Amino acid sequence: MPRPVKRYAFIHAKLRTRLSKMLSSDLLEQMIRAHSLQEAVQLLRGGAFDIIESVYSRTGDLKMAELELLKREIRLYTEVESYLDDELLRFLRALTARYEIENLKNLLRLWFDRNVRGRSIQEAAGYLLREKIHFDLNIEAVLEARDIETVLEALASTPYAQVIAPHAASAGETLFPLEVALDHFYYRMLVEETENLEPRDRRIARRLIGVEIDLQNIGWLVRFKDFYKLPLDEALPLMIPFGHNLDQQTLGEAYGGQSITAVVAGLIKKRYAALAPLLSGAGGEQTSRLVLIERVLSEIMMLEVRHILTGYPFAIGIVLAYFILKKN
Amino acid sequence: MIFTTPMKQLVAVVLEPDVDNVTRELLRQGVMHFIGIREIASDWTAKLGEVAPLVSAARIAETRKRIENFLRIIDRLPVSGGGLNLDKLSAVDLEETNKALDKLASSLQGRRERQKALQQEILKLEDIQRQLELFGDIGTGIQARSQYSFLTIQAGTIQQSYLEPFGEALRDLPSVHLRYQDDNQQATLLVITMKRDDAAVSKILDKFGWADVELPQAGGMKPEVAHELDGKLKTLKEEQASMAAEVTRLVTDRQAWLEELWANLRMNELYTRIQSFFSKTAKTVVFSGWLPASRQQELEKALRRASQNRCYLEWHQPGELEEVERRSIPVKFANPRFLAPFQMLVENYSTPEYGTIDPTPLVAVAYLIMFGLMFGDAGHGAVLFLLGFLGTRLYRGAREGVRNLLRLITWCGASAIVAGVVFGSYFGLPWFEPLWFNYHGIVMGRGGGTGFVKDIYSILLITIYFGIAVIGLGLFLNWINLTVKREWLRLFLDKGGLIGGWMYAAGIYTAFYFVSHSYKELPPGGVLFWLLGLPSLILLAKPPLEFFLPHGTHGGHGIQGSPGARPAKRFTALTPVDFLMEWIVEMLEIFSGYLANTLSFMRVAGLGIAHVSLMVAFMQIAAMVGNGGRFTVGSYLVLIAGNVLVIALEGLSAGIQSLRLNYYEFFSKYFSGAGTNYTPVSLRSQD
Repeated sequence: MPRPVKRYAFIHAKLRTRLSKMLSSDLLEQMIRAHSLQEAVQLLRGGAFDIIESVYSRTGDLKMAELELLKREIRLYTEVESYLDDELLRFLRALTARYEIENLKNLLRLWFDRNVRGRSIQEAAGYLLREKIHFDLNIEAVLEARDIETVLEALASTPYAQVIAPHAASAGETLFPLEVALDHFYYRMLVEETENLEPRDRRIARRLIGVEIDLQNIGWLVRFKDFYKLPLDEALPLMIPFGHNLDQQTLGEAYGGQSITAVVAGLIKKRYAALAPLLSGAGGEQTSRLVLIERVLSEIMMLEVRHILTGYPFAIGIVLAYFILKKN
Repeated sequence: MIFTTPMKQLVAVVLEPDVDNVTRELLRQGVMHFIGIREIASDWTAKLGEVAPLVSAARIAETRKRIENFLRIIDRLPVSGGGLNLDKLSAVDLEETNKALDKLASSLQGRRERQKALQQEILKLEDIQRQLELFGDIGTGIQARSQYSFLTIQAGTIQQSYLEPFGEALRDLPSVHLRYQDDNQQATLLVITMKRDDAAVSKILDKFGWADVELPQAGGMKPEVAHELDGKLKTLKEEQASMAAEVTRLVTDRQAWLEELWANLRMNELYTRIQSFFSKTAKTVVFSGWLPASRQQELEKALRRASQNRCYLEWHQPGELEEVERRSIPVKFANPRFLAPFQMLVENYSTPEYGTIDPTPLVAVAYLIMFGLMFGDAGHGAVLFLLGFLGTRLYRGAREGVRNLLRLITWCGASAIVAGVVFGSYFGLPWFEPLWFNYHGIVMGRGGGTGFVKDIYSILLITIYFGIAVIGLGLFLNWINLTVKREWLRLFLDKGGLIGGWMYAAGIYTAFYFVSHSYKELPPGGVLFWLLGLPSLILLAKPPLEFFLPHGTHGGHGIQGSPGARPAKRFTALTPVDFLMEWIVEMLEIFSGYLANTLSFMRVAGLGIAHVSLMVAFMQIAAMVGNGGRFTVGSYLVLIAGNVLVIALEGLSAGIQSLRLNYYEFFSKYFSGAGTNYTPVSLRSQD
């Protein structure tokens, strides 16, 4: 059996089945229009997300249901890992690091709330994911830490300590630089792992990851410019490199001169003509413009994913597509 | 049964005061497949106005689904049909209904909020429990704060009168406090809190005059503390469960009210849906639709009664209406209940066009024969039969699709039993003499043939004959369909038409001639010309005829253009080249397609042979596992496992291959599948 088929046939079948169980837009629409949370959650009963209804019925706590869902997803990826080997396994582990990094960000935010803002974290601490994904985040030690140095000590056995250490000085005022550093670390790690993939897989992975980075950068651009009013020389280094369509120069020009909407419009015109009608409502106040841009970006990602799903089935695309669709 | 149910079209005009009664009667009868009156292409229909309902069916449906959602909490789902009583139909006030449902939702949400609050408490205590498990000895924890623990354990005294407010104050923090002993007016307590709450805890301790004490006995108190924690957690979880039970009770108490509301909403929804097809003039209402011809009299009587004979009813046969496209006439299957599984197979493929052949009974025969030939073992068939039969009994409440699948398995089992008896195979063993020939014996080269069936090639030949019969039948059915549809050009000149049949028959004759002459000789040239050459030349006329004939419509007389004919094009210098290319492609399709379709039936033999081979293999493995030729327990286990595997794998395989042969080799010859499903609006409607 050819290697790609041997490698991907089972994973492809498994993830395709999972994709088919994703919530339809009809059901999502019904849930949004439900008159109460109970009624919205009830709609999930008997379906692929039955676990949300089940946990909510038992605890009345939607966050517990979300946590359970997250655990289930991570278990799925762990299961998929068991079917992979070599560079694919390393790549998937890099992908799943996203969950760990998000969990770490939540943990740091709780620490910040308690130690810097002096808020109670009694309730929120219970919703942290305590299962180990790749590294032990030493959650209790971080939560107990009185200062950022103690946090770094607690995270010493993970690669994340070195990532956030250079930004420790700002931790007394804001976590923003730490979080950006973690995002940079994630994408850098991901892109590095693509170098070990076979050429076809590398091409697909670089494209999808690059598009995701583009969308992340555009989203940040809008926020930095319109909401945080950061100057260009502070904002540009925060952009993630390795984008597919937008390089640093374009981002800089967008930030410095043109409106972000124009950048997005240019991107659509060049690469995603089918989405042009979506931008017809651009303009108006900042928040609605941001919402519109985010929607357009989401559609761009969906277009890329659909393109992958209709392409060659025995490649890394199915794994990435599943990750992205789940995230969105 | 062979053709779809004859339908009739009704165009009705009633007076506006009678609309309500007429609508109720239409709903009660539940036989009309409504069409928009404007679908009847005519000058007058365009001048009609629309009947605007007071409340849209969509809004009613939304509220109805809301009620279904509540009822799902108690695993109740109302079902359309017998439970709906039109006499109880009354107007709906959606606003009031939704207000009442909002009140119920609010009650439920209140319970959920309480559950959530309890969950917060549980999380806090579980936090402590997690930390406590890291502790070796509580006594050590009091004396020296372990760097590996995140608990603060303190022993001290407070006045007994402060015990209750002290407990209340600690309630908001994750904590456990044990009353160790009482002395004079002082209570000695062991307090365990999270280290991160030290500041808040210190304030509380100071407030109540806490005094630290030595508690050497604390060393053995870990189980006691753990027990205290377990007890607290258990209490909280029980309270949480009782809240969940209360949610169920709240809905159960209102079940009758919800079901009554649901029924009224459902009837109103269907009522409104019917009226959405009405059009009106100043004083009348007009509507139209299709129904089975057999229900005409009953509906007419009912409508005249409802309108006190103040109505005009016009009935039409499909053939009378030139402007009506055959594919827009709804199709109702007319099959007996026992053919339901095979009707399901047909419906999964598509709906036949009105007036054409309903392939259900033919699929039943073909499918079962194919399955039997591929899975011919009486023992295995008996297992399938039992599984299917028991399944239909045990899962009476399952969806119709699941029940039909179980019935299909029962039928397949019966077919396999018959085939097993015919071929003398019972769980792979020759317990009885075969009625025809010994399949196992022939496959294993041990003889057992009879008549012309001598070896594997004979078995392959049987399946080819079977394939020829199926394809031939398909062609014949296609001619009937094309005649019914009056598509004369396709009847004569299509690859599925008479010319195609001529060429197929000729191809079969030629092939058998070639084989019978040791693969060395074809029929004489003159014969070949009449068999294959002449029809090929006749087919050359098809592209120009399609090009020049006007784009045909269904019905009418004389030669019609095929429905797939292109709209009128300009004739250019290259057009004859197009004709030639189309002819070449058609020739290739006919020769290669029919050959492939016929040879495809050899898979029937292939799977049958595989079935035998697998059973023989398992027999041999069982013998190897045995003791000197005698079967041991291990041997029987191997046989059982082998039989289970063969039943599962081969059963699935045979079922799928039979379906494929029906869909691809059989249906492709005659089944157009462009029909519209008959979906009357009735109290039994499910959507």
